[in-house]
Amino acid sequence: MRETRGPWYLLTGLALGALLGLGYAWLLQPVRYTDTTPASLRADFKDRYRALIASAYQANDNLVRAKARLALLEDPDVYRALAEQAQRTLAGGGDLEEARALGLLAVALGPAPPTLAPSPSGSPAAPSPTGDITATQTVTAPLSLNPAASLTLATTPVASPDQTSPAAALVTPLPTFTPLPTRTPTPTPGAPFVLRIQEQICDPDLEEALIQVQAFDASGGPVPGVEVIVSWEAGEDHFFTGLKPELGLGYADFSMAPLTSYTLRLAKGGQPIAGLTAPECEMEGGERYWGAWLLVFEQP
Amino acid sequence: MSRWLRFALAITLGIISGLVYGWRVNPVKYVETTLDSLRVDYKTDYVLMVAEAYSAEANLDTAVRRLALLGGDTPQESVNQAILFAERQGYTDADVNTMRKLLGDLQLYHPAVEGTAP
Repeated sequence: MRETRGPWYLLTGLALGALLGLGYAWLLQPVRYTDTTPASLRADFKDRYRALIASAYQANDNLVRAKARLALLEDPDVYRALAEQAQRTLAGGGDLEEARALGLLAVALGPAPPTLAPSPSGSPAAPSPTGDITATQTVTAPLSLNPAASLTLATTPVASPDQTSPAAALVTPLPTFTPLPTRTPTPTPGAPFVLRIQEQICDPDLEEALIQVQAFDASGGPVPGVEVIVSWEAGEDHFFTGLKPELGLGYADFSMAPLTSYTLRLAKGGQPIAGLTAPECEMEGGERYWGAWLLVFEQP
Repeated sequence: MSRWLRFALAITLGIISGLVYGWRVNPVKYVETTLDSLRVDYKTDYVLMVAEAYSAEANLDTAVRRLALLGGDTPQESVNQAILFAERQGYTDADVNTMRKLLGDLQLYHPAVEGTAP
């Protein structure tokens, strides 16, 4: 008698083979990414990478190079990523210098936002660091490997009015870049800041009690990177102007706990302002909420 | 064709399908990689950044800590590899010299001694 079997054995074989193939491809011999790009880094390593870019920028003051390096991380919003990391670093008690470097790089990259309290004269608008460069590339050697990163090794960027992405150019940003006009993200050296305005702000839109600091130079321009020290009975905190560029390059704020008395001073000197407690405000309906202190410093 | 032969062919076809799917269509994705897996040019740029930062900070401990993330045998080795790559690829003299300066200082770096010094 002849036994008749259907084609199921073929399907069984196919499934068995597929399982073996997948097991080999995924477990025994998976695709190995040994030549990865910074964009694929884990978040904490991206933070390290970003911080190092900022530190290198502090050293070489080369904004084009910093931008090209930041582009490798493929952050959706480079400027926000820097500012947020700076704030995370400060909040986590991290390296102050690192936070400052991140903040200053964010300021250097960010668009010039309107300030909360525009100074009378204001500062002349700095030329945008974006879109001013064209990297004219002189290929001296292929960089090989990944076509997605077929980058050049010797670039000779020159200033040009029409610009393309600097990221197109470099993994190895070697160039002897022509220094570009950029916003100066360092605090203006010179005389210490003087407190010009100290006033209570009652703004129901504020979600918490704040100390808001604004720093201006002698010409009325906002000054980023000014270190502010706030101390209270149980501790001390440092923060910098310019880490919330959307509120002004010279702006910084600090959340106050109600009923706590704070003393604020600028790290570079100047008078300490003591007795800052969260002011109590009242709406028209009698509802009470916490207000803010606005402290405006200016260099004479 | 015998049944066993067809069965073997089916398995082979399945293996090929699995490999194609696993390697091409839906490969293992390493989206959270570490710095030591970076391609050599990125590693070199990382070392250059460390050297640039070191040139301003003059803090070898920090430089060593940053270089350690690259996972080389030693920080010196990481810098040395970067210099070799940079020279081969025609980096500017200034960049190469920045890395050489770091390498030179690293060769004199003795963290244990420094750590126990009064």
